This record gives sequence, C-alpha cells and structure tokens, in this order.
Amino acid sequence: MVLITVRLPVEATMQDALRTLGLHEDDVDTAYGLVPLDPGQGLYALRVTETAAGRLPPEADGPFSDPPIEPYGPPH
Amino acid sequence: MRVLIQLRPTPDVVAAVAAPDLVATTADVTDELPGVALDHSFTPVALPRAQPASPGGDPLSLNQPLVFSMAAEQASVLVRGEISDDEGSARVALLPGRHRDVVGVYADPVIETSLTCGGSPPVGTWRDVERMLSVPELRAEGYDGAGVALAVCDTGVNAAHVAEGLGLEVAVDRERSWNPGGVSGDAGEFDVDHGTMCAFDALICAPRASVIDIPVLLSRRRGGTAMDGLLSDAVAAFAHLRTVLEAQPPESRALVVSNSWGCFSPLWDLAPGQPGNYSDNAAHPFNIIVGSLEQAGADILFAAGNCGTECRDRRCAYPDRPIGGANSHPQVLSVGGVDTDGRRVGYSSKGPGRLSDRKPDICSYTHFSGSKAFGEDKPDSGTSAACPVAAGLVAAVRTRWPASLISPAQLRTLLHRTADDRSDVGFDYEYGYGVTDTAALLSALKRRASRLPL
Repeated sequence: MVLITVRLPVEATMQDALRTLGLHEDDVDTAYGLVPLDPGQGLYALRVTETAAGRLPPEADGPFSDPPIEPYGPPH
Repeated sequence: MRVLIQLRPTPDVVAAVAAPDLVATTADVTDELPGVALDHSFTPVALPRAQPASPGGDPLSLNQPLVFSMAAEQASVLVRGEISDDEGSARVALLPGRHRDVVGVYADPVIETSLTCGGSPPVGTWRDVERMLSVPELRAEGYDGAGVALAVCDTGVNAAHVAEGLGLEVAVDRERSWNPGGVSGDAGEFDVDHGTMCAFDALICAPRASVIDIPVLLSRRRGGTAMDGLLSDAVAAFAHLRTVLEAQPPESRALVVSNSWGCFSPLWDLAPGQPGNYSDNAAHPFNIIVGSLEQAGADILFAAGNCGTECRDRRCAYPDRPIGGANSHPQVLSVGGVDTDGRRVGYSSKGPGRLSDRKPDICSYTHFSGSKAFGEDKPDSGTSAACPVAAGLVAAVRTRWPASLISPAQLRTLLHRTADDRSDVGFDYEYGYGVTDTAALLSALKRRASRLPL
C-alpha cells in the first residue's frame, strides 16, 4: 500500500473517494480510511495498492514516501 | 558564527600589540569591519610570520624547518568578532578583498573540555530543570497546565511510572487518546519506554495538563524493528488531533503536541526533488496536515534530532542538513538540546533545516536524571527529552493564554524573542534563538496582559 492524496468535496466519504479515483474497496486500505489533511481545502489522504496508484486520475497526487519513524533518543 | 580575523595594520600598531608592557585594544587595531560585530572584550594578539629557515625555501610551505618573526613589519594581529550565520560563508570569503588590512578570516569554534554526548552520565536532575524553568514562579502565577491538552505522540505512556517519579497525579485523557491501526493497549498503561520519558519531562512544567496518549511509534504495520512507526500513521494521528482541537470551545482552545521522533536516513525516503519526497517537500501529506493543525490552533513541537556533528547518533545518515521534514516545518517549534549547565549537547542537530532555514528554533534542557525510563542511572536524553520539556513550558503558558489570545505563531515568536541568546547576534544554527527563558517569557506575557482590554 502507498500513500496518496485526493481532492474531494468537504466532508467526503470513502465511497466518494473510490468513485472519484475509479477504484474498488480491494484497492484501498479501508482500515486506514480516508484521512482529512486540510478539511477547508478538501484535501484527503488514503493508502492504495501500488497497482492502483499507477492509474490515478488528475484529482489525485502521489504516491508519497511513507518512511519508518523512530524516537530521537536515547542517542546511540 | 564566531571568527578570528587576521589583520596587518601599520607596523607601529603591530609593535604596540606585541609589546609586553602595553595593552592594545581592538579599537586601536581597527575601526569597523563590514558585517562583523567586533568583540572589544578580546585583547588583540600578535601573530608571528612563519618563514623558511633556509634561504630559497618555499615561502608558502609549512612542511619544512621554519623560523618565526615578530618584527613589526612582518607580524600580524588577531582580533575576534562575530558574523551572522545567514551570510557567514560569503562574508568570510569576501572580507579579505574588501578591507586592506584583512589578511584572513578563520572559524573560532567553541572548545569544550567534555561535551555532553550520548554515553555521558546525567548532568543534573529534573529538579534542576524544574528550577531552571522557574516552575515555582510559573505555578505562583497560575501557569500549571490545567485545562490544557498535551498530546504525547510516541511509544505510549505509563502514567503510574510518571506519577511515582514526579510525585503527583497524572491526568490521562483516555477518551481523546488514540491508537494507530493494529496497536493494542490502553492509554496511560503502556510499557515504560521512550513515551513515558516524554510525558514525565513535559509534566515538569505543566503538572496539571491532561495527557493525550498517541502511541504512534508502536505501529508495526510494515515490520521493521519494534520501535519503527510509519509516517502515514502520524498523518492519521494528526487528523485525530484535529478533531480533538475542533471539539474544544474556540475561545479556550489549548492543544500542545509533542513529537520526539523523526527519520534518520534519506534511504527511507524518496530523493529530494521527487514529488513524493518527505524531507524537503512541503507538499507531503504529513507536512500539509502539520500546517493545517497548527493553523487550527495547535502548538506543535518537534525534536531537532540527534545528528549534531560533535557526537551524532550512529543512525544519522544525512550527509548534511539533518533537520528535515516536519522537524523543520516553518509552523512548528523545532527544539535543540542543552544540558543543565546550559551548554548545547554534542548530539543536538544543527541547522539549517530543510523545509525552513532557521532551525532549530530554540533549545531546552536534556540529558538529566529524570524519568529513569531506561534505568536508574540513565539520563532522559536526546533532543527527545528537550522537546517535551519545552512542550511543558508551552502547555504552562496555554493555561492562561489559549490560542484565541495568542496564536501558535505568535507564541513561537514570543519564545524566540525571550530566549536566552547564546550567540550575541540573534539566531544561530546551534542554539536557534537561544535557550528558553521563563522569566523573560513571563515578563513579556505580563506586558501583553496589561495591553488587553479589561
């Protein structure tokens, strides 16, 4: 799964996202869900399969890196 | 940056500087040097000229027998000054060509006998930190974190351990705490680890804040080590925190978000310049949601990282500019570390930042005996500890100053302006604007309060 963003109307649902992106539920991480990044701008994040990411419409951006994150301490 | 400037003034001035029975001053040697704040407390030093010992020797080689001449016509003079970090390298290069007396400009690094590094024993205790943060004075004025939501985005908090160490009741807001997908465990009841240290350190200054436990670093969705999280889980965590913030009454919003984590290696990221990159890309989803949450009224703090050049964490893999991604976001407070002697710890990452040049913003205290989360004799260390210590101070301020009265951007500016400057010329890439100064901050808040309408 890779991280992408999509522009949708305010208070959009996952069904709205699937419709806009032309994807099925199997193509997305439904447990992760549709995450509002900037609700006022209608910008959302979701995780999709790499195959699905290869056929995204213009409303979507990505994939974006999704690196592991680590605590900054204690110093090694 | 501090610099030593080598000058060749007139022979009579050189002779005066070199004479053991005379005391020449910097003003005797030179007037003004463009862009240099001369240090007039520094007594100029005469520097002999090295010459080949044998006639016909290479005049530019130091790798041969040499003799040294203090003759006034040959010697030079060193003075000390400071150049703004913003244009340090340019001025160092241009100065010799723009002033007839300047022979050379050299770095004047701070020399330390024993810089605090990763393996160093604790320097002071959390009681020292409490005193240096003027916690009694804060409490006397009602700045104790009451009514403030303090999100600790980390490995989860063990509230009982924190309570025992600090000798107080710890309020965990279980309703507003949140676990990433696949992470089990209850808020405030996680194993004692890094997140417990962070909560302890934040509550030094804000003991009555409500802790929102966000164990984002426990995510194991993609394997890796037990401590690895995924940035997409942090995206989801910040989306949750936005709902927490928006549920607060607009007139009393107070949410402080402490983040003692980051990415150590560019190998885990797409290369800078690629559209999906995180470290250098303000359009990455996490960097967008950080800006969005701050805009809504949250104070967001990030540790600057442990990649300081003197004793960097061995996981650091960025060849330069190690403060990247959200840790360098212009809308967060990026926190470097000093020990309780007030000296920058050698592992505290230096700027400039990747998203925003002027990073770190400020420094706060680390490497002290505190939570004992890692063992009885182990310090709370890393900029991991400095970040929540500063977050606690911010949470204390929010007790009386919600975001409706001072926006997060205004509070960051206030922290910059009241910080104890360690460079004499304002911002620098080691200490940022300086070490947080509670007394100066309280004075500024009093002045601000006096201007508010009754």
